[in-house]
Amino acid sequence: MGFLRFGGLCALTVAGALAFTTAVPAPAAADDATIVFGAALAATGSTAREGELTKEGYEFWKDYTNAHGGMKVGGKTYKVDIKYADDESNPQTAARLVEKFVSEDKVNFILGPYGSANSATAAAVVERLKVPMVEGNGAAQSIFSQGFKYTFAVLAPGTKYLQGILEMALTLKPQPKTVAIATANDAFSVEVGGGAAGFATAHGMTVVYNNKYPADTTDVSAVVSGIKAVNPDIILNGGHLDEALLLQRTFKEQNVNAKIFGYSVGPDTPDYRKTLGKDANWVFGGTQWSPTAKYKGAAGFIGDSKVYAAAFNKKYGHVPDYHNAESTAACLAFQYAIEKAGSLDPLKVRDALQALDVVTFYGILKFDSRGINMYKPMAVNQIQNGNLMTVWPRGVQNAQPMYPTPPWSSR
Amino acid sequence: MQLFWQDLVNGILVGGIFAVVALGFSLVWGIMNIINLAHGSFVMLGAYTAYVLFSTWNVDPFLSIPVAFVLLFVFGYCVQRFVINFVVRAPILTTFLLTFGLSLLIVNFALLVFHGDVKGITTQYSGSNFSIGSVTIAWVKLWTLLVALVITALMQLWLTRSKTGRAIRAMAMDIDAAQLSGVRVAHLYAVVFGLGAGLAGAAGVLVSLSYSLQPSMGDPFVITAFVVCVLGGLGSVQGALVGGLIFGVLEAFGSQYIGTGLQDAVALVVLLIVLILRPRGLLGKAGA
Amino acid sequence: MRPGRALGALGGITGNANALRVTVAILILMVFVPMLHSGYYENLGRGVLMFATLSLGWNLIGGYTGYVSFGNVVFFGLGSYTTAALWQHWHQQSIVLAVICAMVVGVAFALVLGMPILRLRGHYFGIATLGIALATQEIVSNVDWLGAGSGFTVRPVDAYSTYYYAMWIVCAASMLATYLIARSKLGYAFVAIRENEEAAAVLGVDPTRYKVIAWAISAAMAAAAGAVFAGANGFIDPPTAFALDNNVFPIVMVILGGVGTVAGPLVGALILTAINETLWSHFPQIHTLFFGAVIVVVVVFLPRGILWLFNTRGGWKGVAGSLGAYRV
Repeated sequence: MGFLRFGGLCALTVAGALAFTTAVPAPAAADDATIVFGAALAATGSTAREGELTKEGYEFWKDYTNAHGGMKVGGKTYKVDIKYADDESNPQTAARLVEKFVSEDKVNFILGPYGSANSATAAAVVERLKVPMVEGNGAAQSIFSQGFKYTFAVLAPGTKYLQGILEMALTLKPQPKTVAIATANDAFSVEVGGGAAGFATAHGMTVVYNNKYPADTTDVSAVVSGIKAVNPDIILNGGHLDEALLLQRTFKEQNVNAKIFGYSVGPDTPDYRKTLGKDANWVFGGTQWSPTAKYKGAAGFIGDSKVYAAAFNKKYGHVPDYHNAESTAACLAFQYAIEKAGSLDPLKVRDALQALDVVTFYGILKFDSRGINMYKPMAVNQIQNGNLMTVWPRGVQNAQPMYPTPPWSSR
Repeated sequence: MQLFWQDLVNGILVGGIFAVVALGFSLVWGIMNIINLAHGSFVMLGAYTAYVLFSTWNVDPFLSIPVAFVLLFVFGYCVQRFVINFVVRAPILTTFLLTFGLSLLIVNFALLVFHGDVKGITTQYSGSNFSIGSVTIAWVKLWTLLVALVITALMQLWLTRSKTGRAIRAMAMDIDAAQLSGVRVAHLYAVVFGLGAGLAGAAGVLVSLSYSLQPSMGDPFVITAFVVCVLGGLGSVQGALVGGLIFGVLEAFGSQYIGTGLQDAVALVVLLIVLILRPRGLLGKAGA
Repeated sequence: MRPGRALGALGGITGNANALRVTVAILILMVFVPMLHSGYYENLGRGVLMFATLSLGWNLIGGYTGYVSFGNVVFFGLGSYTTAALWQHWHQQSIVLAVICAMVVGVAFALVLGMPILRLRGHYFGIATLGIALATQEIVSNVDWLGAGSGFTVRPVDAYSTYYYAMWIVCAASMLATYLIARSKLGYAFVAIRENEEAAAVLGVDPTRYKVIAWAISAAMAAAAGAVFAGANGFIDPPTAFALDNNVFPIVMVILGGVGTVAGPLVGALILTAINETLWSHFPQIHTLFFGAVIVVVVVFLPRGILWLFNTRGGWKGVAGSLGAYRV
């Protein structure tokens, strides 16, 4: 085949493919009366479930806002819209999508992806492109030690996740003394474990086991047998849903007993209770929010957690967990900041976000100079007889903690 | 010392699962020279078969094993006969690619059907255990090991005693001679691949008793299968069993004494050492 | 891999000359992508160049020498970590420095590990490389100096398009190197090893020495790509640096494009990326499903790669006829 034929064929193919890509109908970002947010969320991959929960939280806010007259910015009324794309639970893809949202689709602002790694790469992109991003699902503090100015997180940082459980433990009798910590080897979980270990040591408890396991492991027998050998009062895990399930099962299989079993992620999700059945009872979980939280939110959105939970349940068929709530809260941060700034200019909105100080159903939304919400406490939930109850802090609880956890043989 | 025995027992128990997972992979690779990257997805399908039967009709997972085996056998037979067969004598890289594409297809199809959320099977007897001295053994894990041993023994018997089994072994040694003797190679190739898939399906049921289910759950098992095949030797049933048990024990001890963060690395380093010193594995044939 | 006949069919050791000219022309055109001022296309183009470089590296050891490596991503990962470490510990942002250091690290790693494992044959070498890649990833996750499981952030240089040009230079250099090597004594030694290693040894070619050289050069290419990638990405952790995609896609691309040719890797990278992007834009939920289907169809109908399509006699009829070539 001659040079020209081959070359022509190649050029045709490449041009065709590119044309194909750009033939995707451009989203209506240029529409004058709509504020468009871009959200790269996992619909496939290892965090597909959590990505779905995040999307529900975003969508709930969007539908509520549009049904209640939209947003009023600088005297003009806007509808809101959110564009989604699947980042496949992959940080590179998240970064590419955010790049695409801003430079091709020309969205106004970015709502964060799920997970610390994806939030980290997305944060690097929005910093370069100077578009504000608010996220509710990336808790690793390392995201915020870069000096980034355009990323804000509404959730309490990773270090605090398990501290609530330890705080509560200090008030229980007989007071537990020894702590075993097992964490997955990824940014978020390591921080969770580190925060717990530091708190324990500072408050007179002894950390008798503190080990990491590979982030996507399928076998935790060695961790469990190692923990069993030191016979701790409290067992804590910093990790994700998969391991929380695996560990709890393995604890039962190897007959490992403790006064408190605490997980950073897992007990809150409906999947956890459904899968484990009664083996999930007595388990504690660190939580960013619960439907019984007694905050009084400012005007402009549902101010009461119970009302939010009921409305959410009606729409999605399940009671919201904290992933849902923190995602809605991320949107709320934008809402209040944009309305205060009175403009859609990225820099003005960014400054308004930095100065934000408002109470919502989710808790206080306020960011320190790094962009982290250090002002919202973590609560503690416990699964009691198949129900999720908030047991700490005292001001928010709707049940007393059930303590100590009985041995497996007598359940 | 108690820790040592507990780890040893844990290692053997999990090694049984590894052996069944690797058995199908080893047969397909040893006899047909195909590295089946979709093997993990077959394991996943077996696990989901057990899940569907359990959640819809409360069928005990152990009873689902033959069902999963048959279903996956048929599936594997068709995949080989009508898709892979086109390139089965191509260089190993071609089939490697093809099975990679198949794996993507199967996993994503499962994602569509079952969604990404984590599922699990919790039966009445999940987690129940007994103790010998200070070592605790979970009943489910013990039964899994026993079933694994039975499956391995049955496979070995069939390959050595049955007519089809012997034809397959003849074919593996010299395909042209076998063809000349009247062996229907295309059909037999499909049988072998179907067997590999069926065994993966059975392994999947066993896995579902101990692990959570997600469409992507099969990927780590392909790596496991690789390592077990190298340790134990390709194409041999005893090799898969021995390799699986050794790998299980290695991981258990490695993670406890060198660091739980390094549990896979330990096993892989051992793999490398075995490869350098004795590439055909412990029970493999020389020149394989 | 023994595509002896394919060698002739593909047009000699460097591949079909016309295909090569067109591919080089496309490469030259790609220099101008940043001038489109589109972050999206720059990202896409940089990805193509990165994969092309990885594919060129793999092509040297897997295509020309016939030793299929399932673990070349380890060099990419080490290269990425070089950049990350230079920034975190010594505050160096220079891309040139990062690339040079990365290549040194990659080559050293390949030389040290290559001696023992390149004595292995065929698929055992492949498994060994896979084991190395997995083990390295896990070991790195436990080394605090390299950020352990959390990884490091890397501050990108202010002129962001520099990364695009850097990746272009790395890719172009790799392609030029492949061309020169293919036509030199080295290249003929590699092919000799691929076709018949015992005969090559008898004729005075020391197989282990040349295999290690091939692997070391492929390591240098992969490491250079990784070094540029890390700066552009802004963040490196073990799953990112040693991602499975970066391990498997280059193999797919080389096979698609044409094994053992100079143009094959870039052609494969372009086509696979185009297919992936198109599927992704139109079927965001199930694009991976379609991608798998595409791979299956291509492998069944074009087992020797796309470039073969342009050389076969009888065009499409030839393809249909070839369907029977590899079946039982």
